Amino acid sequence: MPIASAAKIALIGSPNSGKSLLFNRLTGLNQKVANFPGITVDIASGQSLDDSSIQYLDFPGVYSLQAISGEEKVAVEAFTQALEENLLDTVICVVDSTRLEKGLIFALQVLETCHNYNKPMLIAANMVDVLDQHSMQFDPQGLAETLKIPVLPISARTGLGLSELPGAIATANVPPQKFESDIIASDESINHLHAQQLAEQHGPKGDLLINTQTRLDSFFLHSWFGGLSFFVIMYLLFQSIFSWAAPVMDAVEAGIGWLASIVLPVIPVGVATDFASDAIFGGIGAFLVFVPQIFVLTLVVGMLEDSGYLARAAVICHKPLRFFGLTGKSFIPMLSGVACAIPGIYAARTVESTRKRWLTYLAIPLMPCSARLPVYTLIIAAFIPANKALGGLLGWQGLAMFSIYLLGIVCALLVTAIVSRSSAELRTDLPFVLEMPPYRLPSWKPLVRNAWNRCKHFVTKAGKVIFMVTVIIWILGYFPNYGESLGDSWLGTMGQWIEPVFEPIGLDWRYGVAILSSFLAREVFVGTLGTMFGIEGAQEDFSSLAQQIQDSGLPLGSGAALLVFFAIALQCVSTLAVLQRETGSWRLPVQLFISYSIFAYIAALSVFNLVELFT
Amino acid sequence: MTLWDLTQGASAKVSSFKSNIQSGYRTRLSELGFHPGEHISCVLSPSLGAPKLYRVNNTVYSLDDSIASLIEVA
Repeated sequence: MPIASAAKIALIGSPNSGKSLLFNRLTGLNQKVANFPGITVDIASGQSLDDSSIQYLDFPGVYSLQAISGEEKVAVEAFTQALEENLLDTVICVVDSTRLEKGLIFALQVLETCHNYNKPMLIAANMVDVLDQHSMQFDPQGLAETLKIPVLPISARTGLGLSELPGAIATANVPPQKFESDIIASDESINHLHAQQLAEQHGPKGDLLINTQTRLDSFFLHSWFGGLSFFVIMYLLFQSIFSWAAPVMDAVEAGIGWLASIVLPVIPVGVATDFASDAIFGGIGAFLVFVPQIFVLTLVVGMLEDSGYLARAAVICHKPLRFFGLTGKSFIPMLSGVACAIPGIYAARTVESTRKRWLTYLAIPLMPCSARLPVYTLIIAAFIPANKALGGLLGWQGLAMFSIYLLGIVCALLVTAIVSRSSAELRTDLPFVLEMPPYRLPSWKPLVRNAWNRCKHFVTKAGKVIFMVTVIIWILGYFPNYGESLGDSWLGTMGQWIEPVFEPIGLDWRYGVAILSSFLAREVFVGTLGTMFGIEGAQEDFSSLAQQIQDSGLPLGSGAALLVFFAIALQCVSTLAVLQRETGSWRLPVQLFISYSIFAYIAALSVFNLVELFT
Repeated sequence: MTLWDLTQGASAKVSSFKSNIQSGYRTRLSELGFHPGEHISCVLSPSLGAPKLYRVNNTVYSLDDSIASLIEVA
């Protein structure tokens, strides 16, 4: 049956209620983002695996229908607007049956809203498998009779009770009545008192999970062991991005190379071959190579989140990061940014607060990403002697690399510290109240599916912009002399135009062209400079190009200035495109590109003058 | 005495909220279980001023000093 005629069933619940896991379980891979006019948040939509006449809609998780942050308001409005415009047939409120009282406070708000909008609802009491494990029970029948709506005990993890869901949906065919009891209290506390009474009457009795959880928390948040385990886990995360993704990245590159070797000979020699070789295969290769990193990072971050560790990591990092205007949850996106800004920006979705996420976006592009590495390696090889000091323990080149990495991190923290203090709006934010989810083994299927969807999002959405810019830069570098000489191309001419800009830091037009082309991706700087100096395959052979740079008489100050410029400037079209997709507008990426370019230039100019003063 | 002053292992009843707490925060804290009359225990107090862990019913929350010091306990 086509989706258009399917019954639209909304899933709503608080974070940690298992709502998204339930949605994944119910819909499998048949998911897409629902397109509701006027609704600005992403609502995933999917056809039921068991019953094609049911379409589930996964609304963003909120703690309450009384929103206290801008982001919550948007999510709550999306739900009420969908009810108002009659886009929903039935509402399923997902509650965690192990924390029934808390779930019922929310469920009672949903019940009142559904009563006001005349929409049938039912409660899916999730995690009954956990109650079973602890030989605890609750009374769904009694709760259903008291609330006069169906209450279905389920487990999204094991699939228990899910086959009864279509039947329960069919039963919930009348809007709920307003829940009333003999409790007299103020409006603010009435829901809580009702929930407390209902949980006492029908909920599970006794202690649950807490003892194991407390023991693990005592370890993971311990002054020493906690710090050590945090370091080990973050090291593994970092390794996973660099090491585990690397062979797949190589395979992607090799695959594209193989495809090019088959396709290119078939195309007639000339503009078409050059375009296919440089723009199509080169351009696609340049951004597809990020896909394995995005997949691995999304998977590992999802694993940490699902296991309950991410919330603990946020607790550990909260205090130091708060000083810089960030939150504990900003740490993982920033750390990911050291490998690559793109998965880092995606990982920032775990930062719930819009303002803190926005500040995290400011920090990520300044983190020393791996694309800067070839540039740093080249410049350091050209200017810093390979000598070692302290009996071989301290290499000057290593020290220079460490310093430039540190500079990026310091700049990121400085920027967020200054920006967060510059506006009262950014200073005030949601208080740090973080639910500590129970520790559990991650569910693999939804994690893999999520990582896959993230990669798909990157390729289909950001890929279009990246490809477009690739084509523009290729045209500028290829014409009017058909790729004969980069120096005589439009890009080369532009480099000569902007030479006066780079002259004050001692760089000639060749560096200008390399910097312009590095907008595509930072590492392109090395390749372009190699072409300018007439060395093919410069990316594989740093020493000869480094020697050429040295022999060209480039002053030390210019080398240092180049390092500082690359540490700060946001020359990465992929990062800008992903930022645009994640924020829904070009405003932030354009602002960041312009301000970081100016910041980078001023810093580079200052460093050049400073170094030249002392040499 | 505020919730932030509660040492690890100690428990107390929420008595009120400080008058300078925003009404939205008060409502949210109540919804999460931090409402007058409720028993709260401090299950973990990490060193270096990191947010502390508090247990309310079957749930553990981490609160930093900026919010925990707005909840009066007795």
